[in-house]
Amino acid sequence: MIFPFLPHNHRIKKTGKTRSTRLSRTKSAAPHEQPTDVRLGRLVRLLMEHATVVVSGTKIAQEISSNRTEVWRLIQQLRGLGVDVAGHPATGYQLKSVPDLLLPEILGPLVRGTIFDNQLHHFYKIGSTNTAAMAAAAEGAPEGSVFLAEEQTAGRGRGSNSWESERSAGVYCSVVLRPALPPSDVLVITLAAGLAVRAALVQVEPRVTVDLKWPNDVLIKGKKVCGILAEMHAEVMRVRHIVVGIGLNVNQKSFPKEIENEATSLRMETGSECSRVEVAAALLKSLDGEYRALVEQPDAQKPILRRFAEQSSWARGKKVYIEDSAPRIEGTTEGLDAQGFLQVRTAQGLQRILSGTVRAK
Amino acid sequence: MNQKELKELIEFLIEKDIAEFELERGDVKVKIKRGGQHTVVQARAEAPYAAVTVPQAVAPAVAASAASVPAAVPAAEPVPEENLHIVKSPIVGTLYEAPSPGAPPFVKVGDMVEVGQVLCIVEAMKLLNEIESDVAGEIVKKLGGNGQPIEYGQELFAIRAKK
Repeated sequence: MIFPFLPHNHRIKKTGKTRSTRLSRTKSAAPHEQPTDVRLGRLVRLLMEHATVVVSGTKIAQEISSNRTEVWRLIQQLRGLGVDVAGHPATGYQLKSVPDLLLPEILGPLVRGTIFDNQLHHFYKIGSTNTAAMAAAAEGAPEGSVFLAEEQTAGRGRGSNSWESERSAGVYCSVVLRPALPPSDVLVITLAAGLAVRAALVQVEPRVTVDLKWPNDVLIKGKKVCGILAEMHAEVMRVRHIVVGIGLNVNQKSFPKEIENEATSLRMETGSECSRVEVAAALLKSLDGEYRALVEQPDAQKPILRRFAEQSSWARGKKVYIEDSAPRIEGTTEGLDAQGFLQVRTAQGLQRILSGTVRAK
Repeated sequence: MNQKELKELIEFLIEKDIAEFELERGDVKVKIKRGGQHTVVQARAEAPYAAVTVPQAVAPAVAASAASVPAAVPAAEPVPEENLHIVKSPIVGTLYEAPSPGAPPFVKVGDMVEVGQVLCIVEAMKLLNEIESDVAGEIVKKLGGNGQPIEYGQELFAIRAKK
């Protein structure tokens, strides 16, 4: 059961604060939440700065204000995350390769100048980055706050769907946005997020052909490589905050039986391992561009709708049905309407699809 | 539409520099005219409005009246003797009464709810919008059906506010 996390947001006390720092560490953590030890980031940075030499446990302990036993524990934790560290307490430690972790120390410098600059919150393990981001937003987390996790134990999709989030294999992140737009103008953000993911994937891995399925599933050869789930807290005329959650499959080698026909990863498509850090950086940069265009440019919705129609093979002329629709809606897609809703030509006429999963017939 | 929402609407119109605005939905009619030396707010609804102050630099004259519009339109539904608070949808989408299929609904008729309590979800294009109650009170009526399409501003719940 994944979705029951949702209603819990209302119990979170709303303080009048508009800004609060260190959200991920100061608030009491949910059962599955493991906020990242700040020393881990420092340890990684230290090892990266001394990439060619062995650094002694004593020196590391001094540099990160800790002791040798703690350093040993942190090194073990890094190894658990797939980082190749040579050495042991007696000899000192050395990185064998650049760690592909989404730590603020590593990812941060790559997203300078974006709305996410200096706002990365990293977790080893979390229930759901969306749930954490919604809770933080309700407490006043500023626009651009990013919640990244190496692993989600309760990654969420639509309805009762979950999101498979194998440790350190994908990019699981949720961002907090506070657009000064009325809620009705902001819906296209979910389309824009799909466009952002597609652009990032094409940039990092030009060999793959990336398709979009309304509203924002990102597909490679018809299989899902990325899912997006957005949540909004709004009044009639004003959006308080939106959280856009993105689950991107990068280095998974396989998926559980139930979803193996539907899911894929970059690695499974290209045959080679991909840098998650590079993917995450490209993603946040392209999301930053899409979001700024949406909130800063007048009439920004039109180019989003136009680009979606250009980049999605599903937008027009595709025979589809809507999953779980009663009565069943099936027909041929006929583009998006002015608000971004999918139009399907059925035997009964042109129907506007507000939500739901589109499937090929 | 309560006074706070009306105020927000006016602020929004000022921000976007919209001179004239008219909205008619069910038994609510709002007409706002800005510009020049006068800002006129006319409203007739299920609940009478107190005077609304319009934040505008050019000393606005505000007229808020519950009976200034001629030829009163009869309410679509029999208006209850009490003033019920109506919760409306901020977006177009699909209404969900429960957090997931098969789960019990967020609220039932007769439930007491608090301010900020989630009443339902309206989803549009995989954007989930939790609709919260903006008053404390008792759910008197559900005005939308589970899984049904909801229009912008459509009434979702009637709540008898706690005194």
